[in-house]
Amino acid sequence: MTAPLLSVRGLVIEFDTAQGRRRVVDGISFELGEGEVLGILGESGSGKTVSTLAVMGLVEGNPGVVGGEVTLRNGAESLALFEGLEGVIKRRAGKPDRKNVRRWQRMVSRRMRPLWGEMMTAVFQNPRHSLDPLLTIGVQVEESIALAERSLDRAGRRARAVEWLDRVQMSDPERVYRSYAHELSGGMCQRAMIAVALARAPRILVADEPTTGLDTTVRAEIVGLFEDLLADRRRSMLYISHDIREVLHLSDRVIVMRHGRIVEEATAEDLRAGRGERDPYTASLLAAAELGEAL
Amino acid sequence: MGGKGQTLALRISGGIVAIVLLLGVIAPFIGYDPVADVDYEAQLLGPSWAHVFGTDGQGRDVAIRLVKGTEAFFLPGLLAAAIAVIGGALAGAVAGYLQGIGRSVVLGGLQLLDTLPRLVFIILLCTIMNPSITLIAGVAGLLFVPAIATVIRRKVEALGSEDYILAHVAHGFSPARILLYHILWLQCRPLLIRQATFVFGYVLFVETALSYLGDYGVQEPSPSWGNMVAQTRDLAGQAPWPWLFPALAIVVTIAAFLSFGNLLARRDEEAIR
Repeated sequence: MTAPLLSVRGLVIEFDTAQGRRRVVDGISFELGEGEVLGILGESGSGKTVSTLAVMGLVEGNPGVVGGEVTLRNGAESLALFEGLEGVIKRRAGKPDRKNVRRWQRMVSRRMRPLWGEMMTAVFQNPRHSLDPLLTIGVQVEESIALAERSLDRAGRRARAVEWLDRVQMSDPERVYRSYAHELSGGMCQRAMIAVALARAPRILVADEPTTGLDTTVRAEIVGLFEDLLADRRRSMLYISHDIREVLHLSDRVIVMRHGRIVEEATAEDLRAGRGERDPYTASLLAAAELGEAL
Repeated sequence: MGGKGQTLALRISGGIVAIVLLLGVIAPFIGYDPVADVDYEAQLLGPSWAHVFGTDGQGRDVAIRLVKGTEAFFLPGLLAAAIAVIGGALAGAVAGYLQGIGRSVVLGGLQLLDTLPRLVFIILLCTIMNPSITLIAGVAGLLFVPAIATVIRRKVEALGSEDYILAHVAHGFSPARILLYHILWLQCRPLLIRQATFVFGYVLFVETALSYLGDYGVQEPSPSWGNMVAQTRDLAGQAPWPWLFPALAIVVTIAAFLSFGNLLARRDEEAIR
């Protein structure tokens, strides 16, 4: 494998709560290679979502990221997202330092701005709320296309938008093109969201629990769609889920998170085949998945 | 949820708004000499074919004076609405988006402006410096900036935590595009339309109030709806016409502008949901 697109080293994230400061991510490290699908598995509260938001420079809250480094490699260029920001957040326990947190967020946003969309973008859970309620699906896909392929004219963008809606396996792309989010089912909204994200042509797609809240059959369809769209392995994906079967199905490699730590890292193949020594938590997840299949 | 009744009301108020705006546009091109129009042979006539709305105490045609009277508030009203809406939208967006000192400065300025009682401040301004109606309208527009900015700021703050705005950021849309297009234009347009028609109606109200009071606003012999009512109010017992039509025009126009703005905004808001 060549140098990874994304590498995370010792990421630490903390938040102030009513009960004092809480460490939600405790020094995790992982890498994502070119064309690789990395599954991040964990139950809610394990820190998987907030870690991926941090990787995108989108984590908000006080104080947020307090340690570690995220490095993004875009061709020959490489960006150390948190470089030189160690001093910005003062780590006085129990004393929120809002001014520095804001400064920190501003600086990270400035670094990430040229990379958002182009380097990585995201598909979130709750697809209906991730789409602009006042624009048709077609217009939203076109907004992404306009940024990714600047040379296209209006007609070209429209044709490309319909093409994308077809690629995410919409049964009637022309109708969906003219529809608003509230007129579509949850599964269709998630397909539309995937079209909007992929039309932006990112090198890394972050999918944060994209099937949560969808019906079982629709979940299987969405997982199948990801599988098809990534089959050529031209882009990488971080697939975050609490469902071990989805993660095993889609990923090349899997990390398992619990209480803000990585308890397991293995290839999906090894996990599926049951090779090697497993962390007890992973073993229980695998057992539960087998039970689910048996039922 | 108004259904047919609401559509009808929207059409009627929209029709009146359209007529008033049209009159405002064509009025400057109508040649009218208020002095030459004086005709003591034809005082206080009732409506007839020659004088559709009758004549006033100096025999002048009420209809043509009503049309020319729109000049007194038309451009000032547009100016005030533009200042209030653009200023309010930008100040609200900035205050909702910024954090830290920038936000405090904008909020402080808005609060300061908001403490001024509108009509009292305008009359005070008139007594001090005898301003033109355009200046009065500009000030009126400015005085509406805080109210509009507050509504917009709340909306911007509420939308800031929406998933789709986060998604827009992740897709790499520029902050200016998200703020000006996705938030202000798409989400706040109904609010801004409502406020714009309200400010326009308010300027008509201020103009007529000032002209009615006499010492301020449009001066005789130039017509304004306010001074038309003021001049003929004592003659109301002899002839209701010259007083009734301008008074009706004021009431109907202000009501039409307010309800048109409200109905249009409500329709848009229902569309949003």
